[in-house]
Amino acid sequence: MTVAARAAPSPRWSVPSPLRQFVPVAVFAAVATATVAIVGKRPDVARAGDSAAALAGELAGGALLVAAALAAQAWRPRPRFTGPLAAAGIGWLLFEWNSPGAGPAFTAGLVLYALWPPLLAQAALRGPDERPLGRPAVALLIVAYATSLGMLGLVAAAVYDPLAQGCLDCPANHLLVASDADSWHELGQLGLVLSVIWTAAFAVLAYGRLTRLSPAGRRVAAPVLVPAAAALALFGAAALHGRERGFMSNDPTDRALWVGEMAALAIVAVGVVWERVRSRRARSALARLVVDLGASPPPGGLEGQLADVLGDRSLRLLHSLDAEPGWIDSEGHAAALPRDADRVATSVVAGGREVSVLVHRRGLLDDPGFAQEIASAARLAIEHERLHASRRAQLERLRLSRARLVATADAHRRELERDLHDGAQQRLLTLSIAIRLARRRLGRGDPALERELAAAESELGVSLAELRELAHGLFPMVLSNEGLGAALEVLAERTPRLVTGALPDGRFAAPVESAAYFVVSEALRREPNGDVAINARREGDRLVVEVRTEAELTGEATAIEDRVGALGGALVADLHHLRAELPCGS
Amino acid sequence: MRVLIADDEVLLREGLARLLEDVGFEIAGRCGDAGALLRMVEARRPEVAIVDIRMPPHEGDDGLVAAQEIRRRHPDIGVLVLSHHLESRYAMRLLEEAPERAGYLLKDRLSDVAVLADALRRIGEGECVIDPTIVSLLVARKRQRGPLDELTEREREVLALVAEGHSNNAIGQKLYLSRKTIEAHVSQIFMKLDLRDSHDRNRRVLAVLAFLRSG
Repeated sequence: MTVAARAAPSPRWSVPSPLRQFVPVAVFAAVATATVAIVGKRPDVARAGDSAAALAGELAGGALLVAAALAAQAWRPRPRFTGPLAAAGIGWLLFEWNSPGAGPAFTAGLVLYALWPPLLAQAALRGPDERPLGRPAVALLIVAYATSLGMLGLVAAAVYDPLAQGCLDCPANHLLVASDADSWHELGQLGLVLSVIWTAAFAVLAYGRLTRLSPAGRRVAAPVLVPAAAALALFGAAALHGRERGFMSNDPTDRALWVGEMAALAIVAVGVVWERVRSRRARSALARLVVDLGASPPPGGLEGQLADVLGDRSLRLLHSLDAEPGWIDSEGHAAALPRDADRVATSVVAGGREVSVLVHRRGLLDDPGFAQEIASAARLAIEHERLHASRRAQLERLRLSRARLVATADAHRRELERDLHDGAQQRLLTLSIAIRLARRRLGRGDPALERELAAAESELGVSLAELRELAHGLFPMVLSNEGLGAALEVLAERTPRLVTGALPDGRFAAPVESAAYFVVSEALRREPNGDVAINARREGDRLVVEVRTEAELTGEATAIEDRVGALGGALVADLHHLRAELPCGS
Repeated sequence: MRVLIADDEVLLREGLARLLEDVGFEIAGRCGDAGALLRMVEARRPEVAIVDIRMPPHEGDDGLVAAQEIRRRHPDIGVLVLSHHLESRYAMRLLEEAPERAGYLLKDRLSDVAVLADALRRIGEGECVIDPTIVSLLVARKRQRGPLDELTEREREVLALVAEGHSNNAIGQKLYLSRKTIEAHVSQIFMKLDLRDSHDRNRRVLAVLAFLRSG
């Protein structure tokens, strides 16, 4: 049994190659080594300064981001999120490379020192579920990259002449085009103001995004988006602080903000891992579910248990029928797949066939690995419930077919009753009138013939009475014309030993009325001599018919059972008592 | 007496007409459905209309509905409803609005021209007529112990005849008893059943029928 997301094709499940993991690790190791050397050489211009703890914290901040990115990628490949995230972790260290101690890496440091904020912004806007960016986010990222990489990086480097700026021990700037100290200063001021603006815009965008997301989507996005916004806001604050002088430095304010950035990055890393913790927790709930299911799966309770495990109260579990299209719920009733955009269906496939489907909030089962686990954990239970549901559906179908058979039989009897009235009975009456006319014409002329005609006429009278009883027994017209109460009253009039108690006033569906009437008439047939007392009343959504007999009921109750069963009702029968409950709506 | 016959079975209608003509009735008209019946009653004003309960267009109780309509529109025209139904239910529906000049007989009685003629005459005189078979079923009905058990055999006989719509005089003739005796029986019966005696004979029938039907 496997699971596939129906709404979107599931991403291809590939084992991450060790090589792909190795590349960022190697790059980070190289950058970290160089950074340690650079900071060691010129602690006076480094943000980490000469504190080993600060340097360790700085390295840890980057390392955590890279590690979190690698882990997230290993759980589920999503390069558009993990790529910029790992790059931000590496870029975080490059800030220190803008230092006279950087040696040959000095030029790279000049260009890349402010690159980590746009990278982090990109990763956070994508989010762990790789959402589409949308126009505002794309515009923001363009501004961010243009500011960090373009204005503060490449363009500033093109006019920055270290010697002219008084940095006598600075290595050569390989990108220098024309030395212009004023332009460099103004570029720095402008770049920092733009940094303040775009980081503030990021905070607004992040807030808007979080409020628009569904609860499930928010649970995935917030742990990354919120600390990332905090880190970027601290970066923006540092830019605001350095605005006047036109560059970022390592004065006490800068360092304090830098410590905050470090902490925020660590929280971003934790946020990435948090998703995994959450799904672990759900999995252990799932494990409990498996144990519970092993103990005693209540019919139809699986849906509720899965809803608890997945934290989606609106979750629905539907099953397919064996041989036909369409879905049923655990009760075997037909059910439709929801159509609204906020909900998706995840199918459970067995033997190449979609056997069951989980309908849940969008974003709940974004991790197909988790969906897979749910499927295999609850496999037996789902299959058990599906069989149960399809059996109920079949029984219901069978019951409906029985009900149709009974209804058809009733219709035929009604027709037959009508035919007897309108046909045979009318003919016999006409005949008896004809005989009477003949007798009058005959007068007293032939007493023998007169006697024979009189005998024929009285025979006809007997036939008419019998025919009337027969027709009424076939189907009492009063039942369809005036309802159960009237029909039972009429039956009591014709059958003096039938004693009526409470009788219902209102009308019920024709099959219900005729089944209730049948219970009584069949009881009279099975107890042909003694008194029979009946009671019929509505109890909620059921019509309850009770029959008590003086003598024992003879024969089997099968005929009544069939009639009551065809409506999905219940029959309790013993020697002197019948109680039939017929569902009649409310 | 001028009567009108409404029955959708042509042969039966014609046979009945001849039979009634034979015993001195005048046939004011013949028709086969409820609509034609109402129009014909309007146009020809018979004394009594004989109506089959089951007629087109619905073949249910159209005849009964038409009979009730005639009673409403023309209180002076009697109706005799002929029915296949042994139940008092339909009879009650016919009588409960206006019991006078109305009758309810089983259709089987058609060929018994004496019974038919008697019923028509009684209706013409303003009485109401209920089929004896229906009344006897009602009287014989099994019920929880009640006032009916306290009636003597004779009183039951009288009660049934009252329910059929007979006057005290007629009951006396049938049972070979004096009118005074019958009156005594009737007041006994009404006392035992806790019914209010009415001087209107037809209201009296209605009260007795309602009592008997109440089970």
